[in-house]
Amino acid sequence: MNVQLLDLACGALLLTAVLILWRRELAVIIRVFALQGVALAALVAVLAAGEGAPELWGVAAGILVLRAGVLPWLLRRALARGGAAARETRPLVNVAASLLTAAVLTLLAYAVSPPLVALAPSPATQAIPVGMTVVLIGFFVLVTRRRALSQLVGFLLLDNGITAVGFLTTTSVGLLVEAGISLDVLLAVLVLQILTTRIRETFGDTDLDELRELHD
Amino acid sequence: MNLAATGLGVAGTLGVVSALAGLVVPRGARAAVVGTGTALTGAAGVPAGVAALAGQSFSVTWPGLLPLSGVAFGLDTLGGLFVAVTGGVAIAAGIYGIGYARHGLQARATQAVFPLFVVAMLLVPASASVGTFAVCWELMAATSLLLVLAEHRRRPEVASAGRWYAVMTHLGFVTVLIGLVVFAAHAGGDSFAALRSAHLSGATAAAVFVLTLAGFASKAGILPLHAWLPRAHPEAPSHVSALMSAAMVNLGVYGIVRVGFDLLHGGPRWWWLLVLALGAASAVYGILQAAINNDLKRLLGYSTTENLGLVLVGVGAAGLFAASGQRVLAGVALAAALLHVVNHAAFKTLLFLAAGSVLHGTGTRDLDHLGGLRRSMPVTTGLFGLGALAASALPPGTAFVSEWLLLQALIHGLPAAGVATAVAMPLAVAAVALTAGLAVATFVKAFGVGFLAKPRGTGAAQAHESPPSMLAGMGLAAVACGVLAVLPATVLPGVAAASGFGDPTTGEAVTLRLADVAGTLSPLVLVLALVAGAVITLALVRGLLARRARREARLWDCGAGPMSARMEYTATSFAEPVQRVFDDVVRPETDVDVDHHDESRYLVQAVAYRRRVPDRVERRLYEPVLAAARAWGSAGRSLANGSVHRYLGYGFYTVCGVLILLAVTR
Repeated sequence: MNVQLLDLACGALLLTAVLILWRRELAVIIRVFALQGVALAALVAVLAAGEGAPELWGVAAGILVLRAGVLPWLLRRALARGGAAARETRPLVNVAASLLTAAVLTLLAYAVSPPLVALAPSPATQAIPVGMTVVLIGFFVLVTRRRALSQLVGFLLLDNGITAVGFLTTTSVGLLVEAGISLDVLLAVLVLQILTTRIRETFGDTDLDELRELHD
Repeated sequence: MNLAATGLGVAGTLGVVSALAGLVVPRGARAAVVGTGTALTGAAGVPAGVAALAGQSFSVTWPGLLPLSGVAFGLDTLGGLFVAVTGGVAIAAGIYGIGYARHGLQARATQAVFPLFVVAMLLVPASASVGTFAVCWELMAATSLLLVLAEHRRRPEVASAGRWYAVMTHLGFVTVLIGLVVFAAHAGGDSFAALRSAHLSGATAAAVFVLTLAGFASKAGILPLHAWLPRAHPEAPSHVSALMSAAMVNLGVYGIVRVGFDLLHGGPRWWWLLVLALGAASAVYGILQAAINNDLKRLLGYSTTENLGLVLVGVGAAGLFAASGQRVLAGVALAAALLHVVNHAAFKTLLFLAAGSVLHGTGTRDLDHLGGLRRSMPVTTGLFGLGALAASALPPGTAFVSEWLLLQALIHGLPAAGVATAVAMPLAVAAVALTAGLAVATFVKAFGVGFLAKPRGTGAAQAHESPPSMLAGMGLAAVACGVLAVLPATVLPGVAAASGFGDPTTGEAVTLRLADVAGTLSPLVLVLALVAGAVITLALVRGLLARRARREARLWDCGAGPMSARMEYTATSFAEPVQRVFDDVVRPETDVDVDHHDESRYLVQAVAYRRRVPDRVERRLYEPVLAAARAWGSAGRSLANGSVHRYLGYGFYTVCGVLILLAVTR
């Protein structure tokens, strides 16, 4: 039962990552991202149930608040201020190719993770490739999407993946460590949100690929 | 807790408290509070160093204070000498800073960093593990860099000097760190005790020695790595220049002696021949550049390269003698080198502080625009004169004693076994002698052209004497110079204890009599004889002149009207013969523009003479490297076209590439 719940949560994590690649509407992307936050919290909750550790339940609740509540809310606020440009119209790699690349990245993640799994085989560590795939897909979003906001989502996807891998490998990252990482992410998002607003105020757009003059 | 530990602890606490005071005390009182605090820090460091020299060693370790390596401090005789010297310099510089820093140096950061710099320099020789040493060394480098940059708003050259200093000091640090880390890895522990008991293979020991030598030599301003020194020392505030030139560069020597003699227990001959050659080349080249330089503080900076070169000649000779089993001669040579460190610290403090006083009173460092300061700045003139005498290796001077001792060691080393020694020693003697001669010319120029005759610029004409606190700082350094010149026997036992070879002299109070080598010198008697001789000559001349009737008349001036300041020797013209003799070495670039009258080709309207002496080592060695770095940079620019996606893409493709490589090769 527990293993099935764990696999379900991991599946949701992977599916939401791929969905973010697929959809172009920024509003939808943010909603999917919130869903992924729920999936991540569920993953930690399942681990907490398996371990019977009360502080893990606390971490799960924290993740739910931050990644399914606060961060999507911040992103939505940034989007609402943006006005017209609410679509990822021309990604550097088109959607079909992106989905194919996601498949290749998944294969790559499965190809490199056996040594990690072999260190301590358990249902949780079997799911490490899923976390790594989310990391790689997040990176891919960062590289190929033009809007500042979708870049931000890519960064958060990367962080979700890292958190997932962390919990799957060690089960109990200390409460303090997790709190520190979460605070970091929150700060980064706040800074990037301000930066996005500034970019829009200065250049009237948030297409980062247009900003080519900022080099030595 | 013995005196050494207590003193060092008190010094550290006082320094940190003064740094905090520099942050919170209001602007008006800041310079006074920080200056006093720094002087007290130094005053606590001196007894700690002296106690260590007297045999009170201590060591403490706090394993939990720093991750991985922990913190270990300890003071032995060698470290004690450098702690005492640094403390002494800090006293003079701190007192001087009370008056000097009141003029535009009261910024919070500058004032707070100054005592921290002193603390860092006190802690470097007291470090007893590689980790602690690296942290203290880096603290010293960073604080001194901030101090060099203190006046960056006023002069654009400061930024360039700071860049040179930052790059070279950190490159030096990297080589030292690599050397010590390799050493620690082979020794299986990073405390100096573990390094001492390690047995390294010949190749590893050589690599460690050469790497650390490169780093420490760059800190000491030794030849190919000296380029930062004549840039950073003139641009730093003068009391900081004094600390850097009289205390910080010494720690380069400390590093070489610590690693070479103490941790690696000496080594093969070629190590020490290398040290000796570097030292001799630096001594001659440094004093040559000083002799033809017109900037007063740059001249003093090059003179630092010269003096540290002489110290390395002594260190190299000591290593060479120790390697061939002559421990007595090694003791004489190392004691000479360390005594020269002490002497150089005393007179270079005095000279840099006096140069700062000139800069404060006239607003210029250019010797060609100075002159005539005898009337307006009598105390500074007198003190600089004393410093110039101390620096010029003539009998009543401070440097004379240590250079005499050094020459004794080199000359008595001639019959020593080995072809290399037989060739190296006469060359070293020649280098030391040439250096001494050029040093006299240099300091006659600095003092005669800079302070005597008529003022050649408006700044010099309107000069004013410095405030009492600055004069007190200089006075203290002058007293140290005097004591070291007349009674070197008071410090020699301490210096000999630091060298670890035993006292080379028989321990008489007035006369230096070398114990196992023929050689005797009595500076006090020498000074008395010189003074008596001068007094008698003066009395005779006065007596003879008094018989003739006196006649007041104008000086013969070829009928060209009253003599003006433009007819004086300038620094450029004074150095011209030296420059001409060493033309092939320094390669000066001269430019003479002659304007004729329109009516006649034979009548000259104006002659403009310009001379630039580029640092030749720098041109040959640094410019190709800098050009290569620039070419590499512009080649790399095509990779960075400004697209954020491209930059992110580099990371993404690299990660994927590494993962694929892992998946394929495993």
